[in-house]
Amino acid sequence: MSETKQHKKDTTAQAHNMQIVVFKLGQEEYGLHIDQIKEVVITPTITRMPQTPAFVRGVANVRGNVIAILDLEEKFGLLRNQDTISNGNHFTLVIESEDYKMGILVREVPNTLSISSANVEDSVFTGDSQSEQSYITGIVKLEKRLIIMIDIFKVINEKEAQQLFKKQEVQDSVA
Amino acid sequence: MSNEKDNEYREIFLAEALENYTEMNRLLTVLEKNVNDSKTVQALFRITHTLKGNATGMGFDKIAEMAHVLEDFFGEVREGRLEMGNEIFTSVFKAVDVLGGLIEAIKTPKDVKYRGIKTKLEVFIRNAKQAPAAGQAPQQSTGQEAKGVHALTSNPAPVEWPGDEDHDQSEVETTNVSFSDLVQVPVKKLDNLLNLVGELIIERDRIIAGGAHSSNEYSRLNRISSDLQYSVMDVRLVQVGFLFNKFHRIVRDASSKEGKKVSLKLEGTETEIDRNILQVISDSLIHLIRNSVGHGIEKPEVRKQKGKVEEGTVTLSASSESDTVIIKIKDDGVGINSERIKQKAIEKGLITTQDASQMSERDLIMLIFEPGFSTMDSVSAISGRGVGMDVVKKALDSIGGTVQVDTMLDEGSIFTLSLPSSMAVKSTLLFDLDNQTYAIPLSYTESVISIYKTEIHKAANGLIAVHLGNTIHIVFLSDLFAQSIGKSKEKYGSFDQLHPEQKLEIVVVSFNGKRIGFIVDKLLQQKEIVEKPLRKPFDSISYLSGVTILGNGNVCLALSIPGILNALVGNQVSRTINA
Repeated sequence: MSETKQHKKDTTAQAHNMQIVVFKLGQEEYGLHIDQIKEVVITPTITRMPQTPAFVRGVANVRGNVIAILDLEEKFGLLRNQDTISNGNHFTLVIESEDYKMGILVREVPNTLSISSANVEDSVFTGDSQSEQSYITGIVKLEKRLIIMIDIFKVINEKEAQQLFKKQEVQDSVA
Repeated sequence: MSNEKDNEYREIFLAEALENYTEMNRLLTVLEKNVNDSKTVQALFRITHTLKGNATGMGFDKIAEMAHVLEDFFGEVREGRLEMGNEIFTSVFKAVDVLGGLIEAIKTPKDVKYRGIKTKLEVFIRNAKQAPAAGQAPQQSTGQEAKGVHALTSNPAPVEWPGDEDHDQSEVETTNVSFSDLVQVPVKKLDNLLNLVGELIIERDRIIAGGAHSSNEYSRLNRISSDLQYSVMDVRLVQVGFLFNKFHRIVRDASSKEGKKVSLKLEGTETEIDRNILQVISDSLIHLIRNSVGHGIEKPEVRKQKGKVEEGTVTLSASSESDTVIIKIKDDGVGINSERIKQKAIEKGLITTQDASQMSERDLIMLIFEPGFSTMDSVSAISGRGVGMDVVKKALDSIGGTVQVDTMLDEGSIFTLSLPSSMAVKSTLLFDLDNQTYAIPLSYTESVISIYKTEIHKAANGLIAVHLGNTIHIVFLSDLFAQSIGKSKEKYGSFDQLHPEQKLEIVVVSFNGKRIGFIVDKLLQQKEIVEKPLRKPFDSISYLSGVTILGNGNVCLALSIPGILNALVGNQVSRTINA
């Protein structure tokens, strides 16, 4: 199966179609390349972890694997009603790479979309000179929709991970 | 039982020896193509040396003899005193074949003639020694000479020259590819297997918890999965002897360097321990043994003056006690002078003079494990144990082990390490905190107490309670966790909110002689958990040692007591010394 997929990619190199998974964060639509996503599950019970930044909601058990659950709305600073946080109708996009296994919280069932690479605008300047913009790989423009394509592994890149997860010193005393 | 063990040893030796034999053949062919390859010669030397050692240990004298000669031979080649010519190669190949035959003969006993080829090699070696700067030309003649010398020096006992018969035999050997009864498995595969079994156990617990009405139905599943778990754990166990036997050399080197006479005694070498644990502590053991020789055992003259035997003894013993393996390193040397440690610690600013006067001798001695205690002035080596002892401590912490030091001046010291025999299963106490379940390892749990708020007092920016005569530093675990994610609460906030009549559940843990009580919401049950290590991006969280999945499918966090306590007290030893 992977062979045929490979084949397709080769022949339509100029303006190939690609499958993306679209999900909503805040009011915006974000997209991930379908290859990066392993599955979508109903968010299991999340166990909070100490010594982690706020956007790491904790860990959860997905089919026997303990994975980190990330809240990108928190991470990207997107507005959100506080009361929806603990609502059960959340879904988790499970993402897997060699190094990381993690889940991203989304509110609605994500859709898959087939888009032509011609619709993707590669270089994006968001006006944010921070290094964080590098995780945006492109903008998809479809009639009235605008989808922000991100590279999820760059969101949690090594350098940032080290900074964020580094051992936090306990302040003087704990009462 | 011991027979079984012997058999196991023999199997392992056989597997290793066969592997060595194959490797030797490979290296020899490499060497034949490039005679001046010193790396290959070095490798051959090392292999024959290892094989000799192993064979001696097992009592296979013939193999040891043969390997010894080969070792000497390659030693000469390495030194450049012996150049490998065609004829010599033929002899060496034959010697290796004979060695292979000897190894094979362990499995299927048969008479392998080896003295002839051995003598021949010995002649090469002797000649090489006599002619230190042997070139190609004299070497050729050495080969010729060999027969002559052999005739002159041959023992009265009939020495078999590797004749045709012998040759034929080895021809047969080489065509007959031998298979070992052992399979070598990369540790990574075992780790994976253990992980899978861990998941299976978790899944089993989940199913059983869900269908509690007919638990009989699952008794078979229960039994089989338990058996499977223990079998997999058993596969990972190795005998400590494999590591211990390497220490003879370390003791020898260390003692000869220091001009001391030290003998190493091994006890309980058949004790079994998880391979990964042994790996983690191997450096620490080397360290402790070097220290015992370096700082513990006195020089022969000094020992004589003290009325001790000139030769000091370092005893390395292992024994297992239920879930733990105890390794003791005992020396009959000077012992540790706690006064010297006190002075040094004060000098280094680890403790204040005032603290020092309150510390018990045991606490003082434990200071050698503090980072920063390491001495750089080797002059004071007589009493200055603690060259990087903090590394030992760290290694032990990482696997949940502990160390205890007993010492008597002029009688010696005993370092006692308690290690978990397996990393897979941990006995823990489960408790609830903020609607979440945590596991705390029982190995660090001292007691569980329940006291009223009124019994807790504010003292020096913290909370303390007195229980059974011990002063315990009390910490709201929830505050500690909240603080670690940046939600700092007001000092005493949680405490002041409590109703005065409130009864508090406190888990008292101790680590390194530091005792702290954690206030938790609710104590649950004791449970053996299969701990999974924290993976990226959580691998640097110091408060947790791992996670596990509970029967209800939720993730349970396992606390790392060393991590939490180290973070709480930092390097300030004095703050939690018990009154």
